[in-house]
Order: sequence, then structure tokens, then C-alpha cells
Amino acid sequence: MSSEKPRSGSRRPRRKIPVARLSDFPAGTRMEVSVGSVQIAVFNVEGDFFALFGRCPHQSAPLSRGRLQGTVICNADTCWETEWAHEGEVLVCPGHGMEYDIRSGKAFGYDLRLRTYEVSVEDGQVFIVM
Amino acid sequence: MANEGQPVTVQRVEPSLNPVQDEDLDQYGEELSGLTIVDVDVHVDDTLMFMLDYMEGHFRKRMETVLQADFKGEPGNSLRNMIAHIAWLGSSYDKPPRAKLATKEDLLARMEKGIIDYSILFPSELLPIGYLPEPEWAAALATAYNQYMVDAYKNLEGVKIAIVVAPQQPARAALEIDRHAGHPDVVSVCIPDAGVNPPIGDEKYWPIFEAAARHDLPISFHGIEALIHDNYPLRVAHFHTLMQVNSMGFPFTSMLQIMSVVCAGIPVRFPNLKFAILEAGLTWMPFIMYRLDAAYLRYRTELPALEKKPSEYIRDWYIGTHELEALPRRGDLAKLIDLYQGRDTTMWASDWPHLERDLIAGFMRYEMDDALRRKILGENALRFFGLTARK
Repeated sequence: MSSEKPRSGSRRPRRKIPVARLSDFPAGTRMEVSVGSVQIAVFNVEGDFFALFGRCPHQSAPLSRGRLQGTVICNADTCWETEWAHEGEVLVCPGHGMEYDIRSGKAFGYDLRLRTYEVSVEDGQVFIVM
Repeated sequence: MANEGQPVTVQRVEPSLNPVQDEDLDQYGEELSGLTIVDVDVHVDDTLMFMLDYMEGHFRKRMETVLQADFKGEPGNSLRNMIAHIAWLGSSYDKPPRAKLATKEDLLARMEKGIIDYSILFPSELLPIGYLPEPEWAAALATAYNQYMVDAYKNLEGVKIAIVVAPQQPARAALEIDRHAGHPDVVSVCIPDAGVNPPIGDEKYWPIFEAAARHDLPISFHGIEALIHDNYPLRVAHFHTLMQVNSMGFPFTSMLQIMSVVCAGIPVRFPNLKFAILEAGLTWMPFIMYRLDAAYLRYRTELPALEKKPSEYIRDWYIGTHELEALPRRGDLAKLIDLYQGRDTTMWASDWPHLERDLIAGFMRYEMDDALRRKILGENALRFFGLTARK
């Protein structure tokens, strides 16, 4: 992917975008947030919130519509055996199935990481911080 | 990055279970409005049950038997699904939503968005027709499919049909072409890539080309995965995963068909006949063109019918963009097209609604001049299929 320029100092004021009341955003649901032309997918996975860039870099399919499931892994930690892992934490693009770790935005099998956003909950209100 | 002034919208959404939806068309609706858009590879639900009423005699009885088979809830009796389930059991563990079959209503809803001017319908179920072992069965299925399609999809705004032929019975294939060529909604003859043995340039198939040329109906070769068969040209005997079948099988079969047609001198014998290749990507086009040119220097006397270099025939072939390879840089697609001289022959194709369909966003992200984009999105396809611009 194109390299992002380091944001020198990043002094720009951060903006908090209200997403939903906590009571309207229960576990197992997701929200599609558009800020200008930027789309962000926000998930509540068993009480933990995750916000990621919402367009798949492959062909721009909306990641907010992706299913959450597990995937197969095979690495030194598994002694190079293929195992099913990360159940419920792999976001699968609804377009063609690219898989992302919902915690980090890292794509499985690609040297690629989706931008992630901080999510805060204050006074029963869920925000993303940009 | 977020300015205070930027509008914010929040919407609760559900996981998408149906790739028939194509929000990407909406996303680019404004940018595409006013342009002629032809989607040259579209599929609708054509599973065997729709053909039952068009089968005759003992073939109808056999079809009834096939339709009684229950393959774990897969939509009735899909020949392709049966094969795929057995051979590649859960190979992709249902990773993306399974390709849903598009109903006529799905197709019409997509057309009603007003973005796509023409959808060209190609067979799904009968793409493996080339490797059905019984020629009569294959031909009967092709006849049933063609009649079903012209009955069910005629007189729809912007919907056109490619009939399919069973290469196993060339004389009967020619009759199919004669029967349907005059239909105003029939715009091409589809010959599936896989399982055609001997290769499609062989003299035994010439009645098919003669008939198509007689009616000025272009030929479209459509890629199909090998699934279980291990016959010509590069079949599953060589591949152990579906990814390998998909990646190599489609372009290799396409290249072999092109090579076979050109080396048999068919473009010389039928100079007005137009050819297209669908669902095999694009990047191999320069390879087959210029590789053959290099060999032509040494082996020209084997091909005495040719009047010019192989590449000068192949550059006249039309080619659908699906399955567009993942070219890494935005300028790469235009460079590639330049390399195979394809400005006037490359046609946008989505393969909607199949699993591996290309979203239009995947094409729009590539940089090119406006004239080239217009040609690819519609103008070239209008010429190939003999259609009139609707906008």
C-alpha cells in the first residue's frame, strides 16, 4: 500500500465523533460512520469497541458489513500445523473475503494494516477519536 | 484529519449475507452518470430446474432424476455446486458470503439503478458443458438453456443474452446458432473454455464458426474452473487447491483457445468473425501475443494460412476485465492495455453476482485518460455486441 507520511508532531486537535449511546450500541452490533468522505466501521465485540477504516483497500467494499469469525493460522507458534484461531475477532470483507484482525487492523496474509481509531466511552456515550 | 465542518453520519448496519447487493454502483453513481456502461459478464439463476420444461423425451426423465438429488440445501440441483462440494469440500470454509444466484428481480433491481445500460447474460450452470462426457446430453442441455433464456429474459430493457453451444456436437451447435441468431436479444455465442477436446481450432468445430460468421454473431469464450475433470488442457490433476485452479486454470485455458483459433487460421477463413475472452484476467495477453510472434519466426511454415503475425490477429480479440489481476499501482492498467494494444478491445465485466465478481470501484481506482475509460466501460462493448447506445 502507499506509505503514509509520518504526521510530524500531529498537533492537529483531535476530534471526538459521537457514534451512539452505549445503550443503543449493544454487544454484537456494528455502526457505519461517515466523516466527510471517510468511512469508519465501529464494532462492539462482547463489550470491547473497535473502530477501523471502513473501506477494503482491495476494491473498496464496505467493511462495516463484514462478518466476524475466526480463521486458519499456521506459524511457528502452532508448530506449522494449521489451526483455527481468533474466533469472533476476524473481520471478513463482504466483497471478496480479505480478513482483518479486528484488534489491530492487520490483514491476515498481507503486509497491510487498516487504520484503527481510538474509541472512548464517556457518560454512556460512545465516541471515536480522529 | 477530521475537520469540525465535515458532515458525520452514523448508521447501524448488519453483516452482508448477499453479495448480490452492489453498493459500489451507488458509490460511483454520480461519476458514472452520463457514461455508457455495459457489463459484459452477468449471471442469473439458471440452475437445472429452470431447464426441465425444455428437455424432451428421455432427457427429461433423466433431468427429473437429477433434480431429486438433495445436496445439503444447495439451491436445487446445481451441477456446479454438486461437483464443487464433492471435489473441494469446504475449501474456503464459506469465507465470504457464498455467491447467491441472482433472480430476474435482482437483475432488474440492479438495472433500475440507471447506471448500467446493458447487462450481457452468460451461462453459469452450463459453463462446464464442454466436459460433459455424453455429447447428446450436453447438446440437449444447451438447447434447453437457450430456449429458457430467450423465453425468460426477452424484451427487458438493457438485458441481452449470449446463447451457449456444446462443442461436442458442432453440427447441432450450428443449428442452435441458426435458430437464435435472429432474436433481437441474442448478441453472442458462448463457448466455454474448459473441457474442449480437441482444442477449439480443430476442423471439427468449424461449422460453429461458419454459423456464427454467417449471422455476424460474435463468439465469446468464457472461463470456467476445472472442478473435477482432469482433461485438456490443464486440469485438476495439476492442482491441489482451488486457488491454483482459479489462478492458473482460467488464463491457461483462455490462452490455449486463442492460440488454437489463431494457429488454425480461423481469423483468416472467417475474417468478419469477432472473438472475446471473458473471465480470465488480462495480464497474460502480452505474453501470448508476443510469445507466439517470437515462435512464428521459426515455425511460420506450420501455419501457412496466416497472413500476418499472430499478435496482429490477437489484438483484434475483445477481452473482459474480469478477473482483473491485482495490479499494484494505479497507472498499471493503462500501461498493460497499451502493451497488448487493447484500447479498442477491452471491456468492463463484473461477473456479478458471483463470489469473485469485480466491484466497479476496483476498476475506477486505476488511472487512465477519460477516452480510454469510456471505451472500456461501454463503447467497446457496444461495438462488439452490436448494441446501440441508450444514453
